[in-house]
Amino acid sequence: MTSDGVNHSRRKFLLGATSVVGGAGVVGAAIPFVSSWQPSAKAKAAGAPVKVNISKLEIGARLVVEWRGKPVYIVRRNAESLAMISSIGEGVLADADSESAKQPGYVAGDARTLAGKEEYLILVGLCTHLGCAPMYRPDVGAVDLGGDAWLGGFFCPCHGSKFDLSGRVFAGVPAPTNLEVPPHMYESDDVVIIGIDSEVA
Amino acid sequence: MSNETGFAAWLDSRMPTLKREWNRHMAEYYAPKNFNFWYYFGVLSMVVLVIQLITGIWLLMSYQGSSEQAFASVEYIMRDVDLGWVIRYAHSTGASAFFMVIYLHMFRGLMYGSYKAPRELVWIFGMTIYVALMAEAFLGYVLPWGQMSYWGAQVIISLFGAIPVVGEDIVQWIRGDYLISGITLNRFMSLHVVALPIILIALIVMHIIALHDVGSNNPDGVSIKKHLDKDGNPIDGIPFFPYFVIHDLVPIVVFLFVFCAILFFMPEMGGYFLEYANFEIANSLKTPEHIAPVWYFTPYYSMLRAVPDKLGGFITMAAAIAILFVLPWLDRSPVRSIRYKGIVSRIAILMLPAVFIILGYLGVKAPTPERTFLAQICTVLYFCYFIGIFFWTKMESTKPEPDRITMDGGIGFWRTLGAVLVVALLVILPIKAVGAESGKSCGTIDCDPFEAQLSNDASLQNGAKLAVNFCMGCHSFKYSRWERVANDIGIPNQMMMDNMVFTGQKIGQLMSIAMPADGAKEWFGATPPDLTLVARARSPEWVYTYLKNFYADPSRPLGVNNKVFKDVGMPHALLDLQGLPECMPGPVMASNGGIKRDLMTGADILDDPCGRFEINKAGAMSAEEYDVAVYDLVNFLTYIAEPMAEQRKEIGKKVLLFLLLLLVPTVLLNREYWKGIH
Repeated sequence: MTSDGVNHSRRKFLLGATSVVGGAGVVGAAIPFVSSWQPSAKAKAAGAPVKVNISKLEIGARLVVEWRGKPVYIVRRNAESLAMISSIGEGVLADADSESAKQPGYVAGDARTLAGKEEYLILVGLCTHLGCAPMYRPDVGAVDLGGDAWLGGFFCPCHGSKFDLSGRVFAGVPAPTNLEVPPHMYESDDVVIIGIDSEVA
Repeated sequence: MSNETGFAAWLDSRMPTLKREWNRHMAEYYAPKNFNFWYYFGVLSMVVLVIQLITGIWLLMSYQGSSEQAFASVEYIMRDVDLGWVIRYAHSTGASAFFMVIYLHMFRGLMYGSYKAPRELVWIFGMTIYVALMAEAFLGYVLPWGQMSYWGAQVIISLFGAIPVVGEDIVQWIRGDYLISGITLNRFMSLHVVALPIILIALIVMHIIALHDVGSNNPDGVSIKKHLDKDGNPIDGIPFFPYFVIHDLVPIVVFLFVFCAILFFMPEMGGYFLEYANFEIANSLKTPEHIAPVWYFTPYYSMLRAVPDKLGGFITMAAAIAILFVLPWLDRSPVRSIRYKGIVSRIAILMLPAVFIILGYLGVKAPTPERTFLAQICTVLYFCYFIGIFFWTKMESTKPEPDRITMDGGIGFWRTLGAVLVVALLVILPIKAVGAESGKSCGTIDCDPFEAQLSNDASLQNGAKLAVNFCMGCHSFKYSRWERVANDIGIPNQMMMDNMVFTGQKIGQLMSIAMPADGAKEWFGATPPDLTLVARARSPEWVYTYLKNFYADPSRPLGVNNKVFKDVGMPHALLDLQGLPECMPGPVMASNGGIKRDLMTGADILDDPCGRFEINKAGAMSAEEYDVAVYDLVNFLTYIAEPMAEQRKEIGKKVLLFLLLLLVPTVLLNREYWKGIH
């Protein structure tokens, strides 16, 4: 108690207690406002996993399906292409082992697929630079893409980023990382579901 | 100030306005020490304003202002947006809370003469806020695009048609169409969301500036500026900050407690805050059976109905509001506060709220001759107050005002309670005298009781199965999603996909049906309504009774009729389960409510040709099994009408507990700051 008859320490304590509890209340009251910005049930339904039948995909061909409003590329590669992918040197690619790439843990190797499914490349078809959709350019030796050095892959028309047939980014282009591999699982040999993770054995 | 440090000094040297205004309105604004309970409602209206602004901004993020999408987007907010229902219920509860606190705030002004000189401008700004708020509330009520939105707007806009000569043109100009349509909805949304909030905020700023320029009134109605201390501050006043800021925290927490109790436990408030008919989508061809505005408009609505003339009713209603504006010049009393006014004023101040509440009550009820008569009396009494005050304030003898404010000058707790009781009696007795309306709750009969069990998953699952098999041939549940239903009532998603979800639909989709609405109208005479909200629009009891009261009627095109919904265009969908009930003579009700019996034998008199049913060709179920099946079905309909009902109460309990906890330090803090103030 001080001379002016005011118990300052008690006031301070009560102010602090009221502020703390009231502050917790403000945080609690903010919950509905924050969570209402999350994807709604409608958005989630629209972004639901997509089933794709890949049995009719020809070798060398590409299928584009939509998942969460994004283009997903499914490319069927042959053994020749896969061999070529493995042979591309460390100097050409920025991240040959996909260490900084966005891809599920069950995807591995130069092929960037599930073990045993190397034939089918599944990528989110958006450039990691600024989000354009890269073109599929499987034509080996394309003159506009560097002639003999081009072994087939993806080329982004917006800012010229290049990716190989596993979606790995070339060194010296604007795109910072490899193309993203979306979560996916094989329901059967012919049907793949984009948007659900494979169960890790 | 010398003790100003760092940032505060930096800021003050660059923008001295901030500190000057802070001092003017908070730290050095001296308010009378003797503010009582009635002075809480000003700050509470600010709290509600903030709630309305924030929830409104968030609602607009998901609301769509088109006639095709508006209704569905409100249900989208209620169901699909995470915790969107909290925001929506807060906004709908806030609308009613706003008027609750504003009416009490206005009544405070009437009691203590806060409108009298020099505060006429404060009062007029306040009244303008009130009128703007009524416009804001009306426009907002149209946006959900339910039946009451539509028909309420129809009635209110049509009022302008009472204006001679140009009326009809004005009505059409307001609508922008030949009927209330999406065009009207669009402009109303713009006004509700942008224009009126700006006007309201500007008016509130003016209201407060005008108040702070002349200083606050108080329960004694005497100025505190006559007695100043050596610094020139009123000795009977105390700085608004921190004393009244802390003082107001307690009522704010109590208010939030009441507000959240309504929000989480009775968001419809028995159909007064959210009217049941508004859970049905707007239909320009069908007026709801009973149409009434929301409670805060009903006093004026009663006055409108009490006058048997279109223009006269409109003028009466407008005058009832307009007369409030000139009140500062009608009250000619030498004193401000009711504490020192004469006996006539004291009686009149109790009569006015009673009259206003009676008018409000009558406005939500269907009119009967007795009720209309009471409404007429109350309308006259209402105007008597404002006309009479001009005379009796000059004639009655007043008590002498004290020189300084008093800290114990009121009538005290018990006599206040007595006054509240007197008002309550003044309200209840006349209402009782004009009696209740007769009529059955479910068409021609009384509803069967129904108690939902929203956590009984087995019942809900059975109900869902019946709904899909027997209802969804014709009715959609298009505001709900399959997945939500599956998760809420415990059906595995795969089982739902295999057994319930229609071919071609995904589990995340809305539960729509393939039947085209146009074709349905041709087949049945009316499009079968969507059933997502039927239990909210009609009540579970009604649906339950309805499904149990189909009977054979060869005169009807589909061979059946219904006691609850006479001449309904729906076949007996559960015929295979129940069998076909046929009419048999049954007992009739006597006028005293009992069953008519033969005086000689004591047997029931079977005068009603359809007093009971008999099933000659049995269905798949016994009568008991059928009752259970209908119960489960209606239980499911109740669930799907408000799927978050259980979650709502769970969250509500935690919120209320928290607010009780918050009340403890708030009360202690207030006591600590105010203990030395006498």
